[in-house]
Amino acid sequence: MPEIIVKYDNKVIERIVTEKKRVSIGRTRDNDIVLENRGVSRKHALIEFNNNAAVIIDNESLNGTFLNNRKINEEILRDDDVITIGKYSLVYHTESTDDNNDSAHFDGTMILKTKKQRQLLENDKIEKQIISKYGGSVLLGEENTDFTEYKIDRDVITIGKAKFVHVKAKGFWISGIQAKISKENNFFVLTNLGKKGKTLVNGEPISKYNLKNGDLITVGKSTYKFVEGDNK
Amino acid sequence: MKLALISDIHGNLEALTAVLEDIENQKVDKIYCLGDVIGYGSDPCACLKLVEQNCDIKLMGNHEYVALGLISTENYNEAAKISSDWTKNQLTENDFSIISNFEMKHSWQDFLWVHASPFEPEQWHYIIAPDMAFQAFSYFDEKICFFGHSHLPQIYMEQEDNFPRMQGGHDFLPAQENRYLINVGSVGQPRDNDPRACYLIFDTEEDEVIYRRIAYDINLTQKKMSEQHIPEMLIDRLEVGR
Repeated sequence: MPEIIVKYDNKVIERIVTEKKRVSIGRTRDNDIVLENRGVSRKHALIEFNNNAAVIIDNESLNGTFLNNRKINEEILRDDDVITIGKYSLVYHTESTDDNNDSAHFDGTMILKTKKQRQLLENDKIEKQIISKYGGSVLLGEENTDFTEYKIDRDVITIGKAKFVHVKAKGFWISGIQAKISKENNFFVLTNLGKKGKTLVNGEPISKYNLKNGDLITVGKSTYKFVEGDNK
Repeated sequence: MKLALISDIHGNLEALTAVLEDIENQKVDKIYCLGDVIGYGSDPCACLKLVEQNCDIKLMGNHEYVALGLISTENYNEAAKISSDWTKNQLTENDFSIISNFEMKHSWQDFLWVHASPFEPEQWHYIIAPDMAFQAFSYFDEKICFFGHSHLPQIYMEQEDNFPRMQGGHDFLPAQENRYLINVGSVGQPRDNDPRACYLIFDTEEDEVIYRRIAYDINLTQKKMSEQHIPEMLIDRLEVGR
């Protein structure tokens, strides 16, 4: 996929990898690449992709669009071309360079609406809906559980294979009460009570652990996802 | 109103002094400090004094929280543990009383200031990626939240049908209709590969965000840290800004 590296004063501020056919550039937020600064028009320019070619088109902007330091109206982009708009420069690559991953956190990387990002966003929406439905923190049944959603509405919840526990877990080698989730100082704390190594969070055995949103709790063969609500 | 926003000074007196000098020339109305005045560096007390004298708003950082004994250093790496114990030993009774008056967050008009995240400020969550910013956006109502903590100058803009856009810190004009999370960077221990001290100027009338990078005498700071036997890793990182 083509990649556009946005620089300001020669510092990389954003990397954009896109699968879109048309990428708009401008000052307002409805653009794909938003450049919020003086000298950038609301709808400044467009990059169009078709049949392996990319074309930069200036949208009659006030201060102009420059390609390799030359003012242009419409021009075909080549690898490593530099588009200048105001104080920004946009470096165009025909293929994204993955070797920059290390510095991603520093420079900022954005992938325009890829599948994975949409999925993450969708999951987050679903979790938010569940929280608002129950008005608090919830356990979601992920694997080998007899519920899909369990509201954490008391101060202590027990997990294990005994008949009287709140949350039943599967697995031969676990204790009657294998673990508990209790409210302690603003946290939901997961504590292992039974056999060692049979209570895990995100794959790691724990003895005592402050739960965070999205943590995966595994007791024996059962796995639950902890979704944090506002009832702390 | 023209504001200078400084954060994460971490006991680096040379960086703080250089930044305050630059702020003097910028003719700002007020200076806000977003926390972590102490920790890591060799001059916690002198930095606290300067912040107390010069800043109009002073926010609590996790390093102040540690010094007050409100969170343990159990999960800290060895260097951070050693330096926070050392820092704690330097502080006078008066220093502790200054710190204990720091606010957790501050809001004014459309703006919010907090050290780490508007989501549970006292849990010091990091915002260093779009998914973290996505969560944080739902925990404040103001248009712009300024924060620090990660030492990375970054700008997040809320988007309707996607995770927030993330950009490296740079001068820009926040648009009225948008919401932003803006990391002001670190004065005393930058981590964005630029060793110069970083702070931010925000002009509420011009609606302009300007990042300032200020060179200071890093060698002197490192020498003072060595003399106090502060862990080498904390000394070395200053010259590379990581």
